Amino acid sequence: MKRITVFVICCFLVSFTSAYGQQGSHLAVQYDMSFGMGDLGDFISAPSFRGASLQYRYAVTDNILVGVDAAWNTFYEKMDYDSYTVDTKTLSGIQYRYQNEVPILVSVDYLFLTDNKFQPYLGLGIGTIYSERIVDMGIWRFEEDPWQFALKPEFGLMYNFSNSTAFKLGLKYYTGMGGDLDTQGYLTISAGFAFSL
Amino acid sequence: MKKNVFYFIGILFLMISCYPEGIEYYEETDIVFTDYTESFDFASRGTYSMPDKIVKITGNLVEGEDPEFVPEPYNTQILNKIESNMTAQGWTKIADPESADLALLPAVWSNTTIVYYYDYWCWYYYYYCGWGWYYPYATSYTTGTMVMTLVAHGEEYIEPSTVWTAAINGLMSGAYDTSRITKAIDQAFKQSPYLNTK
Repeated sequence: MKRITVFVICCFLVSFTSAYGQQGSHLAVQYDMSFGMGDLGDFISAPSFRGASLQYRYAVTDNILVGVDAAWNTFYEKMDYDSYTVDTKTLSGIQYRYQNEVPILVSVDYLFLTDNKFQPYLGLGIGTIYSERIVDMGIWRFEEDPWQFALKPEFGLMYNFSNSTAFKLGLKYYTGMGGDLDTQGYLTISAGFAFSL
Repeated sequence: MKKNVFYFIGILFLMISCYPEGIEYYEETDIVFTDYTESFDFASRGTYSMPDKIVKITGNLVEGEDPEFVPEPYNTQILNKIESNMTAQGWTKIADPESADLALLPAVWSNTTIVYYYDYWCWYYYYYCGWGWYYPYATSYTTGTMVMTLVAHGEEYIEPSTVWTAAINGLMSGAYDTSRITKAIDQAFKQSPYLNTK
């Protein structure tokens, strides 16, 4: 709770010392909450509250922004004592499951309103995602860490405090395909600030 | 402005920097593995024999010497637990291994692993390691393993053949924590319903 209070206070301090504008380029720094879907959701059903993302955007026109995204999300779940059977072999124990997701994407955003404090936008990212899947059981560790082809549709809203700072809220769906893992997907809610550069 | 960006990034990473927790107690490392020969018809058998001592595999047995065994009272506690599970599955223990359908052979061993942190040679070639080097330290952990095998013999076998294996493994907190061992033995039989002859 203390950390959340500190976080909120700092966000407001930052916002009042800057002024935001859409001209040129900006860097957005966001806190991420994520929810595993599909294969990732089956592997770890608990949501992730450990995540952050960085977005750099350059305005090529008034309402089209291009740039790069980088993010990191950690999923974790301690499973109850259980048995896992493959053919004639059965292994029982407690599993500790971890999955780190690190997407690196080239993105484009379309702003629906340009001369407004509220700026809803739609975005699409394309690139790669590093998935590190770990299962700890007993003293043993099983690990897979493929790079996958990644896509990320995004819908969000920016609220311009001033000419150089905006609050940015985004809903993103990351999907990674190919490699040694099945298709991985997770939904992310990002909240943070965009600073003009 | 740039300063604000870096402050914000710093705060954000402080918030998320705590990595998820993991194993906290020794018991949480306990695993039970079982495997069996699918073609073997356990239900058509009903007797087994078992030695009254559990061999302790140390790896340094000199030829001609007797092996080490698990000391009492742990030996009897473990054997009683195995026997009660076999009885519950419908098996009858008999003294003569030759006339028994199967032989159940338990064994234990332990492994100690030493882990070095940092480059251990820096105390000597410190100029090579550069700034910030510190004395190395090492830690170790010991795992205990218990194996139970059911071995079939008789006319249809050229050599005795293992038809069921159960392995119990975990980090050791001390010598012979029988509550953890007996719990794991129960689990080994629970996850092997094909052993039931009833």
